[in-house]
Amino acid sequence: MPEFSLIIVLVIALALIFDFTNGFHDTANAMATPIATGAMKPKVAVGVAAILNLVGAFLSTEVARTVSGGIIKEGDGGVLITPELIFAGLIGAIVWNLVTWLMGLPSSSSHALFGGLIGATVIGVGTQAVDYNVVAAKVILPALIAPLIAGGVALLVTRLAYRITRRDVGKPDGRGGFRYAQIFSSSLVALAHGTNDAQKTMGVITLTLIAGGFQAVGSGPTFWVIAACALAIAIGTYTGGWRIIRTMGTGLTEIKPAQGFAAETSTAATILASSYLGFALSTTQVASGSVIGSGLGRRGSTIRWGMAGRIALGWVMTLPASAIMGAFAAGLALIGPIGIVLDMVIGTIVIMALFRWSRRNRVTHHTLLNDIDDAGRVVSIKKTPRRPARLGRGDRRKVSL
Amino acid sequence: MIDWSAFLVVTAASLFSAAVLVSLYSLGLRLLTTAGRIPLVEPHEFTGAITVLSPKKAAKQLKRARKAAAANPLTPAMKSLALLAGYACFVLCGIAVLYGVYLIVPALHR
Repeated sequence: MPEFSLIIVLVIALALIFDFTNGFHDTANAMATPIATGAMKPKVAVGVAAILNLVGAFLSTEVARTVSGGIIKEGDGGVLITPELIFAGLIGAIVWNLVTWLMGLPSSSSHALFGGLIGATVIGVGTQAVDYNVVAAKVILPALIAPLIAGGVALLVTRLAYRITRRDVGKPDGRGGFRYAQIFSSSLVALAHGTNDAQKTMGVITLTLIAGGFQAVGSGPTFWVIAACALAIAIGTYTGGWRIIRTMGTGLTEIKPAQGFAAETSTAATILASSYLGFALSTTQVASGSVIGSGLGRRGSTIRWGMAGRIALGWVMTLPASAIMGAFAAGLALIGPIGIVLDMVIGTIVIMALFRWSRRNRVTHHTLLNDIDDAGRVVSIKKTPRRPARLGRGDRRKVSL
Repeated sequence: MIDWSAFLVVTAASLFSAAVLVSLYSLGLRLLTTAGRIPLVEPHEFTGAITVLSPKKAAKQLKRARKAAAANPLTPAMKSLALLAGYACFVLCGIAVLYGVYLIVPALHR
């Protein structure tokens, strides 16, 4: 069955590409705030995040197979999801991830994956194959609640941090010291992300291998799958989704070190608590909620609600949009081998077009700082003095504490 | 189907652990400042989120910090006690973070 093997190879390749987009999409969750407050250099920050994602992927491998498990009914009396449908779902997820990246929106990669798989399944098998109760309970409801929990926690904790370090007006409060703490808190978020998100791709690949009969039913991911996924997500993280980092770091509110530390700690605590108690909240939504919460917690800071609204709209759109794209890809894939080739061609063209589009206004760690200044000039409500044109080592200036 | 109590538990657990971590670190900073060792950490990069002061203002701020440190009402013994307590807070905070790592890695607790 050479054809059957080919589709499996394609699925694995696509799954790794998805893992890559997942990595660079989610760098911002951990590293946007330390970059924004200057706690770490941008390149160092994404490097640390990449290493921790790599390590994290190896640390925990037990979940992995729950990705499509609950939502798409399987086994006795249900339907088996075929490699063609996984292939179509992955195309939907990758394209949506790239679209949101281009718009600089932090959206959940897991939702994109779920959406793509759901869309493909509805077309391939029928609407009865999707367990909508599980979708509501495990995807939609947590998506509404995650930012609220994280935001509330971050708000209270930011207040706490400022309350404890508050001193009489004019006396130095040493809040710059929170920059050191940020390095650790953001690293914790990156590690937690590595243990969660790389597993989703491992799950998809393992599912495909089991479906193709290459692996025993019920067995976990093999070593090369783990290693490949870990590497893909790490490379993606190191590439850095600078557009999303810009949005998270400065687009929502101006972050000071104490806020950044409070936000990251809230993110880490919420993610750890939720995954430890059995249901994983989206890292992206938790992190965005924390940033807004910490903005609300500091007196005199302003939230750019317009940006927050755009992000929320992106979340609402993620599931249906990637489902529609997954469904479209599935419709083609079901025609036969020609459909799959068509899928590949169309997918490649769309991805290339998105990349070409992104070249028009490139955002890298070099341009990041100037871009932030520009963004600040346009939308900032609080007055932010411009960064001096050139800062040498010698004349580096003191900044507010 | 929808487990509301789980959300409540997660909220409580997140709030508690985040509050403990942030309180410990903030308290450590506060004690350090009280002891006259005001941490001055410069940012690595000057992003738009950071307010850059003019050299005049910066010099003023530094002067104020020195003055505040000099006018510390604490005795040297109390200062070193505060410093010690501050470092203790940082150590506790570090232990809490390590516990977080322990929770992340299932191989350690299962």
